[in-house]
Amino acid sequence: MTDTYLNLVNTGLTKKLAKKLGLPRPVPLVRWKPGQPLVAGPVLVVGSEHSEKDADAVATTLLEWDLDVRRTVEPGQRYAGVVVVLTGIQHPDELGGPVLSVGGMLREQLAPAGRVVTLSRPAVADDAPAVAAARQGVDGILRSLAKELRGGSTGNGIVLSDGVGVGAPSVLGALRFFLSTRSAFVDGQLLTVDSPAGSVPQDWERPLVGRVAVVTGAARGIGAAIAETLARDGATVVVVDVPAAGESLAQVANRVRGTALQLDITAPDAGERIVEHAVKRHGRIDVVVHNAGILRDKLLANMKRDRWDSVIAVNIAAQLRINEQLLTSGEFTHEPRIVSLASTSGIAGNRGQTNYGASKAGVIGMVRATAPLLTAFGGTANAVAPGFIETDMTARIPRVPREVARRASSLQQGGKPVDVAETVAFLVSPAAGGIVGRTLRVCGQNLVGQ
Amino acid sequence: MGRAEPSGGRPLVEVALPGVPGLGGLYARGLAASARKAVGARVGALGIGGRARGAFGAGGGLPDVAYLVRDVRADAERLTEYQHLLGESASDVLPAGFVHVLAFPVATALMTRADFPLPLLGMVHLANRVEQRRPVTLGDTLDVRAHARGLRAHRSGTQVELVTEVRVSGTGADSVPAWRGVSTYLARGVRIAGLDTSTPDVSDVSDVSDVSDVSDVSDDARSRDRGGSDTSRERAPTSHVSDEARVGDRGGSDTSRRSAFEPPLPTGQWRLAADVGRRYAGVSGDVNPIHLSAPTARTLGFPRAIAHGMYTASRALATVGAARTDAFTWSVEFAKPVLLPGTVAVRVAEERDRFEYAVWNGRSGKLHLTGDVVPH
Amino acid sequence: MAAPRTNSTTPSGAPRPATAATPGTTAGVPGPLAPRRAVVVGGNRIPFARAGGAYVRASNQDMLTAAIDGLVARFGLQGERIGEVAAGAVLKHSRDFNLARESVLGSALSPETPAYDLQQACATGIEAVVQLTNKIRLGQIESGIAGGVDSTSDAPIAVSDRLRRALLDLSRARTTGAKLAAVAKLRPKDLAPAAPRTNEPRTGLSMGEHQALTTAQWNITREAQDELALASHQRLAAAYDAGFFDDLVTPFRGLPKDQNLRADTSLEKLAKLRPTFGLGLSTPATMTAGNSTPLTDGASTVLVASDEWAAAHDLPVLATFVDAEAAAVDFVHGKDGLLMGGAFAVPRLLARNGLTLDDFDIVEIHEAFAATVLSTLAAWEDEEFCRARLGLEGAFGKVDRDRLNVHGSSLAAGHPFAATGGRIVATAAKILAEKKAALDPSEGDRPVRALISICAAGGLAVTAILEAA
Repeated sequence: MTDTYLNLVNTGLTKKLAKKLGLPRPVPLVRWKPGQPLVAGPVLVVGSEHSEKDADAVATTLLEWDLDVRRTVEPGQRYAGVVVVLTGIQHPDELGGPVLSVGGMLREQLAPAGRVVTLSRPAVADDAPAVAAARQGVDGILRSLAKELRGGSTGNGIVLSDGVGVGAPSVLGALRFFLSTRSAFVDGQLLTVDSPAGSVPQDWERPLVGRVAVVTGAARGIGAAIAETLARDGATVVVVDVPAAGESLAQVANRVRGTALQLDITAPDAGERIVEHAVKRHGRIDVVVHNAGILRDKLLANMKRDRWDSVIAVNIAAQLRINEQLLTSGEFTHEPRIVSLASTSGIAGNRGQTNYGASKAGVIGMVRATAPLLTAFGGTANAVAPGFIETDMTARIPRVPREVARRASSLQQGGKPVDVAETVAFLVSPAAGGIVGRTLRVCGQNLVGQ
Repeated sequence: MGRAEPSGGRPLVEVALPGVPGLGGLYARGLAASARKAVGARVGALGIGGRARGAFGAGGGLPDVAYLVRDVRADAERLTEYQHLLGESASDVLPAGFVHVLAFPVATALMTRADFPLPLLGMVHLANRVEQRRPVTLGDTLDVRAHARGLRAHRSGTQVELVTEVRVSGTGADSVPAWRGVSTYLARGVRIAGLDTSTPDVSDVSDVSDVSDVSDVSDDARSRDRGGSDTSRERAPTSHVSDEARVGDRGGSDTSRRSAFEPPLPTGQWRLAADVGRRYAGVSGDVNPIHLSAPTARTLGFPRAIAHGMYTASRALATVGAARTDAFTWSVEFAKPVLLPGTVAVRVAEERDRFEYAVWNGRSGKLHLTGDVVPH
Repeated sequence: MAAPRTNSTTPSGAPRPATAATPGTTAGVPGPLAPRRAVVVGGNRIPFARAGGAYVRASNQDMLTAAIDGLVARFGLQGERIGEVAAGAVLKHSRDFNLARESVLGSALSPETPAYDLQQACATGIEAVVQLTNKIRLGQIESGIAGGVDSTSDAPIAVSDRLRRALLDLSRARTTGAKLAAVAKLRPKDLAPAAPRTNEPRTGLSMGEHQALTTAQWNITREAQDELALASHQRLAAAYDAGFFDDLVTPFRGLPKDQNLRADTSLEKLAKLRPTFGLGLSTPATMTAGNSTPLTDGASTVLVASDEWAAAHDLPVLATFVDAEAAAVDFVHGKDGLLMGGAFAVPRLLARNGLTLDDFDIVEIHEAFAATVLSTLAAWEDEEFCRARLGLEGAFGKVDRDRLNVHGSSLAAGHPFAATGGRIVATAAKILAEKKAALDPSEGDRPVRALISICAAGGLAVTAILEAA
């Protein structure tokens, strides 16, 4: 789906006009392509008081990744990324120093599509109040700062649970993800790393080599993009969709050089058939992406039983049953990964989507409770909550609401299926093993919800 | 199955023609001559061909000549077109029906002679019988000899047989011909006094058709009698059935064979397009106007063009296919013409030692033709 | 290349000499000349569409490519060099002289996959399987894709003979005069296209008319035909509902299942249809659009392989393609019905393999017409016919209806001529695999077999035996 407005405000006369009128001026996002450098320019690493050690460690890591690392703001220097290490912060007073030092350079010295990443610790009940205040304060800074960024730049935070060092695989994985263009449409999010689990891949470019991944609802849109992205990252992909979608499913399978499994995920034995197919054809099953979902919107007052039931059946009940069959199959034991597609509607709610909201919020709850069941095998389960993504589904939204929904985010545009796919790919990667039961939004910092 | 020359002992004067005449010209000539003969015959006069004859001699009123054309060769392109049209394999062996069309003009030329007693045009083909003794192939040089015999009265006019023999050149005029055809024609409404009405000439075929049928195909109410075509006689051509039976047949007093015709299960169906007559005329040279178009057929008393009898019989022969072997006898009796365009039901089936065939109207059950192919 | 002999646990891939054959025996040991076995890995077809329906603009190549691509997707064969692809169509444009190869080039298979076209009327699809499995058994290839496709919606239209001749003359003409002469011969009606006919060239009868004669000959009633048609629809619909076709069919052009399928049809509805075949014949007209296959568009493929290849590719093995037999009847001279070839081929096939009708768990007889199946069954039960025409001592046998076309056949699915063989082989192979897996322990490891009989124009039939692997 073409975003006409985005094109207009970035070309010729209409570009000037939009500038004069002060209209929102979204810019085309830069997205990742294989072979692209991790970050296209110098990265500034700053640390707060009590965080110097972590900041040094981060800087060292970035150097190991062959990045051009700077520790101070140099006049006239443009930066492609800024990492603000606030892990040791003890008091809100300590926030001003590092934050303001960065703030001064953001307007002129952060390159387009620049990246700001904070590293901090969660505020928990056991914390001293001042520490908790400072830690929670990072949340407010990051979310506000992200809304101020322009030119396709994003701000995201990594929250390291106690016991998780800045060198933990999932911190490294998240840092790379947020610094790179893979996270182009992820903005204003704080992602918690719960444990030091996970492993650093041999090849960051193809972290899924040797892994067998199943993607449901893969015939088109986001599912197809997920399949393609996982295949790009090295996975052998089994694409699943209902038999009626078999034609495009076959095309996706052939594009990703995987296999197509025509299957209704609401079938009682869907999970068993998925496991059987993956194991028989490809020898194993490591990753399941629950992407299949349906919409049956109606105001609750007008909601009929069948519309409610079908959404619950497909969007959440089927996933629960499949997960159960995965877990009891004895095959899903090699650092398994489940990623489930939630939705901003499941976080913020949406008019006419009580059924959908229930199912998608249910997904968020499900992964939270499923992930711990997988930790014994080095596995995890997480969710991705897309905001407004340009798909066949959103193309059917009437024009005006669609236009409003597109602009109602910090990036002032809709995302693309590949943005969701990149996030999924990160969460199923070996490095993401320490992210346990979390939900990561891919919404361009949508104005609604948390 | 050698056959005596059925000329009643009368010596024939052999007239060699320089080549096979064109049928178009023959028909044109025949048209004029036919008009004269027809007028003369219908009024009962004996003035035939412009000169009177006192009585018919041993030749039964037929010219005492045999036409001979030597060194006839088949044309490969025409043969191929013929084979395609009839559904024959494109073999170098000339289909028996193709030999017929090759030799037919020689017999026709005989019928356009001024002293031939019957008018050519409007003549109805009652029956045909071909004996193929051995294959005639493309490249063979052929001698074609034709004479007439068996002039006799028919219930509806006068019938005559044209005998055509084809020999491969150099095999000797006395040798058994490779191919021998006897075509029985009827001149409707032509009466010639003094003709034998009860005993046929020694003949390979009998009279088979009710002329009124042929001339008025749309009239179903009139009783039909195909006449003496009982197959027992056909299967034993050298033995005669009793005269009584023949008389009965011709007298139309018995139940006709066609009314007794019970349509069998067909084995095929022919959808005959309106241009089938023109297409067969193209490969056979038989441009008789009754086959060419509805207007030309109407001038001769037919509501629409009718299919060439030999076209339908030749298709049946083609359907028999290779099972007919190299030497066979192929007979047909025409009952009722096939109007064009038209669809007819067909049965070509092996019965004991022969293939029998029939063509009929699938809806009304009325017979168009029957015949058989008997491998030697 | 010669692959090592298979260490087969369920051998039976080899026909045994007829002399060694004992009716009713279980799977035998391959004879001394037995080559290795060839197996059916799976299949894929696109749903069959009614003529002028969902595939009205799709060409044979479009459909065959889609069917191959679905197969590739199902079995992960992207970029794979298959031993050989053999496929064909009955109604074929002259431009499609290399239909199979062109379809391969348009597919996700390796462009280095060889392919060839073949054609045996409605038996094209199964004959492709026969040829490729034979090559596999001989060790000439390790894998093969047998295919068939037909479009009656995109059937080739020929120009009239006169126009064709004039155009050819025109192309050969060197001078303006010669060119004018070539064109001058044309008449307006020569410009009318010549529609393709599927009538038998030697009899002029359509297939339906031929079957009408056979139907009358065997006294097959309208009611019996309608009952068979009803069963076909009900069984196919049930199989779809059960997900049986989930891994046999890939939708195409938005069509998810066979367009001709009428799950809600009934004997009452079928009884209301007017007879359409045999009206011009002097036989009772009992054949309707309901108990005859409609003109259909579609394509099918079957993946066949050696055991080694299947194992190396982690692919399942559904069934062994045991043996095949073709027959032809002399319908031109009315000796037997046009579509009765199967009645002759099957007894010969079974005799060679030492089997009887009772040795088969399922029997698939292509439903060209309901009456075709019923005439074949009637013939096999008819002592006189079996003695006189088949040279047997008595009736050949009876086919249990519960084993006949168990998931429906062409009456419900439709019949894109060359695609039917592939549909039946893949369906039968999957049924066998399921039946084998569901065998009661008390039955031991008995062979589970399918008999397939597909009649074809020209009095042809190709029949085959499959056995669960």
